[in-house]
Amino acid sequence: GSPAGTQAEKKQRIRSQNIVPCTVSQLLAAEQVDETFRICDVEISQVTIMGIIRHAEKAPTNILYKVDDMTAAPMDVRQWVDTDEAGGENVVVPPGTYVKVAGHLRSFQNKKSLVAFKIMPLENMNEFTTHILEIVNAHMILRKNLMSASRVPQSFSSAGISDAGGYGGGGSLPVNGLTAHQSQVLNLIKNCPVPEGMSLQELKLQLHNMTMLTIKQAVEFLSSEGHIYSTVDDDHYKSTDAE
Amino acid sequence: MGDVHEVPRRRIATAHLAQYIGQPVCFVGRVEKIHPTGKLFVLSDGEGKHTTVELSEPLDEEISGVLEVVGRVTNQATIMCMSYVQFREDKSPFDLELYNEALKIIHEFPEYFPFG
Repeated sequence: GSPAGTQAEKKQRIRSQNIVPCTVSQLLAAEQVDETFRICDVEISQVTIMGIIRHAEKAPTNILYKVDDMTAAPMDVRQWVDTDEAGGENVVVPPGTYVKVAGHLRSFQNKKSLVAFKIMPLENMNEFTTHILEIVNAHMILRKNLMSASRVPQSFSSAGISDAGGYGGGGSLPVNGLTAHQSQVLNLIKNCPVPEGMSLQELKLQLHNMTMLTIKQAVEFLSSEGHIYSTVDDDHYKSTDAE
Repeated sequence: MGDVHEVPRRRIATAHLAQYIGQPVCFVGRVEKIHPTGKLFVLSDGEGKHTTVELSEPLDEEISGVLEVVGRVTNQATIMCMSYVQFREDKSPFDLELYNEALKIIHEFPEYFPFG
């Protein structure tokens, strides 16, 4: 049987621990199934939006903002106030300020809102341009990853999705600390019975879905980590794990 | 006309004006000139192309630098401004050319950056 089932499940759960940059329109269009939200089948929970504060209302326990990113009507963003703290955290960001909001998507009586854990005024408006690009990039990659769910997971590092769970830097989903490509290359090299080891050409023949560049990159990594070593020349490799 | 701030306002550059006549839009550009009456000003986009922005009431303050205008495109392909905001550039200048590139991308991939 293929491990794709559990890996796809793991991928789903791990993805929902990431923070996904979104537009307000995407959040409004998200469908709710039980406790989870999905944007075109991509599960989301923690999100970031960037927009301008149109309205701010302070209540004893929370501040309610309306944040507008032009993609839809302004969205309700609630920030709970720490009632133990005197001042400081409870400063209301004034309307007309562009902010980045990180928070959880919520739905109550069919109305969507965000519960923010962080609201930061933008000091550099170029961050706004970056956010626009990150949204397109993230949603494109997330959707692509979903469609290739039967294959092994790919690296999230280019998705612009930051890891709330503190894995530290978007990395690939590791199996023994190796990516899927690296594992495949290593396994072939390990199982090669020939004394001079496996050649790059042989690897390319066996791994139809990988380009020579990808194979070379995997070999370089495995070699620098000590999993393999070159034999007769730089094109032939054996595994350091004696079979 | 309704409150244009409650509906999706597509981000556009000067080149898109003709396509969005009558539509609510959001335009970001640099102030080039202001008419003496204060009811009209010209913004340049990331490609250096100019858009005329009209106001129903004259400006009551000095404007300069990069503005983000929300309004509706008129039949003359100008923008009737409902509100505007100045982008802060006190810490770093705003890269309008990069913003223009981002606009091209969101126009090319509306499925990943939907308006409405």
